Amino acid sequence: MKRFMFGAFIAFWASVISIWSFATLASGTAGQADPASEAASERTISAAELAAHGSAADCWMAIDGVVYDFSAYIPEHPAPPVIMTQWCGREATEAYHTKGYGRPHSPAADALLPPYRVGVLLTPDDSTDAE
Amino acid sequence: MKATRIAGDALLAALALGPLFWFLGAGALQLESAASTLRSLGRLAGVAGLAWLLLAMLLSVRVPRWDSPFGGLIRLWHIHHMLGAASFLLLMMHPILLALAAAASSPAAALATLTPPLSFWPLWAGWGALLLRMVFLAPGFAFFGDADYQRWKAIHLLSAGAVVLGLAHAVPLSRALPADQAIWLWGSLGGLAMAAFSWRTLLSRIFSHRPYRITQVDALARGVVELSLAPEGRPMDYEPGQFAYLTPLDPALGAGRGEEHPYSISSAPTEPVLRMAIKDLGDASGALLNVSVGSRVLIEGPYGQFLPSSHERPALWIGGGIGLTPFMSVARALADQGGMADVQLLYCANDPSRAYFQDELKAIAARVPGLTLHMHYFAEAGPLSLPYLETRVPDYRERRVYICGPLPLIALARTLLREAGVPRTNITSEEFNLL
Repeated sequence: MKRFMFGAFIAFWASVISIWSFATLASGTAGQADPASEAASERTISAAELAAHGSAADCWMAIDGVVYDFSAYIPEHPAPPVIMTQWCGREATEAYHTKGYGRPHSPAADALLPPYRVGVLLTPDDSTDAE
Repeated sequence: MKATRIAGDALLAALALGPLFWFLGAGALQLESAASTLRSLGRLAGVAGLAWLLLAMLLSVRVPRWDSPFGGLIRLWHIHHMLGAASFLLLMMHPILLALAAAASSPAAALATLTPPLSFWPLWAGWGALLLRMVFLAPGFAFFGDADYQRWKAIHLLSAGAVVLGLAHAVPLSRALPADQAIWLWGSLGGLAMAAFSWRTLLSRIFSHRPYRITQVDALARGVVELSLAPEGRPMDYEPGQFAYLTPLDPALGAGRGEEHPYSISSAPTEPVLRMAIKDLGDASGALLNVSVGSRVLIEGPYGQFLPSSHERPALWIGGGIGLTPFMSVARALADQGGMADVQLLYCANDPSRAYFQDELKAIAARVPGLTLHMHYFAEAGPLSLPYLETRVPDYRERRVYICGPLPLIALARTLLREAGVPRTNITSEEFNLL
């Protein structure tokens, strides 16, 4: 029993260190290219353009002022598809942060967002200025 | 007795499995893909791990007499130990399974699962709880060598910190449950566990310690004494064969003053004094051999449910050394009350000089019909063997067997009896091991 527990203790740290090292290396190489170039040539998207992508097959959402194209992600989302598809083409900040019952998404979920980013949402203030 | 035992076990099972079923009912198990399966198992490992940690803490409450529906304090302690170990294994699997589930989406998600931004404090609370558990379990599982009893007990108090951090992790992160249900579930289980902890560390000292005064110290053999204790207040009621925790307060004591240790009761409940037999097994028990007559002790108990209350069913008692004490208590009670018994008592000692209680036991066996004493001396007859058992107690296979003594004797007796075809359920043994 004692020997088994000690083995489990060592196996735990070995696994944590392996996963952490792998994830650090892999996410470091993947993330390098995008953000800087994106910031410079970031698209602005109006509410009307967002609303045009309002179906499950073509699903954009705005979260915290950023617009994401989740069309490819919906099948991977842990919850049933309708949980996400009801927000297609819409401002979904509140839904993302509460999941509808007061539970925020995890940092792991936050980490999944960047690859789906298509641009920033044009706020009403910006649009009045433009007009 | 049987019905209360079934009720006790049902209560434990409900507490152990209830939270899991609650989560399963809320749809926590999703097996659509490898990632969702890993994620579900990871979450359920966390739920069961925390629930069992809380239950293990609840079982450490140790309230006199509450242990009897659960088969005695020693059985409860074994359950506590198993739950603690299982919970620790599950809680180590919990972050690994969740990180692997996230890795199916992206390495960045796996990394954020293990090491999120500092502002995501519930997850860091979980890490804190797991690290604290590693510290407070290290002595119990001898990660870094064998532990000293008092230090082990002190370090085990860190469990309270692990529980608080574990709850701070689980309440905001029980994602399968709506927030109010999570608060309700973890709040009630956590509240029970923390109440048990407060009772054990603080309140029991006020409410369950009974003052006694040492009236006599009889040397039974080298390194073994029997203390006679007179109650200063209301005496403790107990059954023969139970044990109690004794805290000596003698200022002249060389070691262990103010420390509680469990000792078996050797007296009959009908006696005006409480007697406990004590063997020098460590610093604290060794110092008790020279405890001053007239000094005070605190007694907390009774605990344990080793022997049945009636002895008319055919039984074989195998006692060795200080392990004879619970049998001595029952023998004295039978002699006092003029009771009937069908008991073969096999007393295993190294040689006649170590066979304390022998003369008194012979006198009791002569008076109590159906109680027969057999002396087995290791120095003469070698280790206990089946041929020996066969000649002394030919019908031992038909008897319910109770064994109390040093671990090697318990192990040997169990092996022999199992070889002879005595079913496991007919053998009961009791040992104190880091209790």
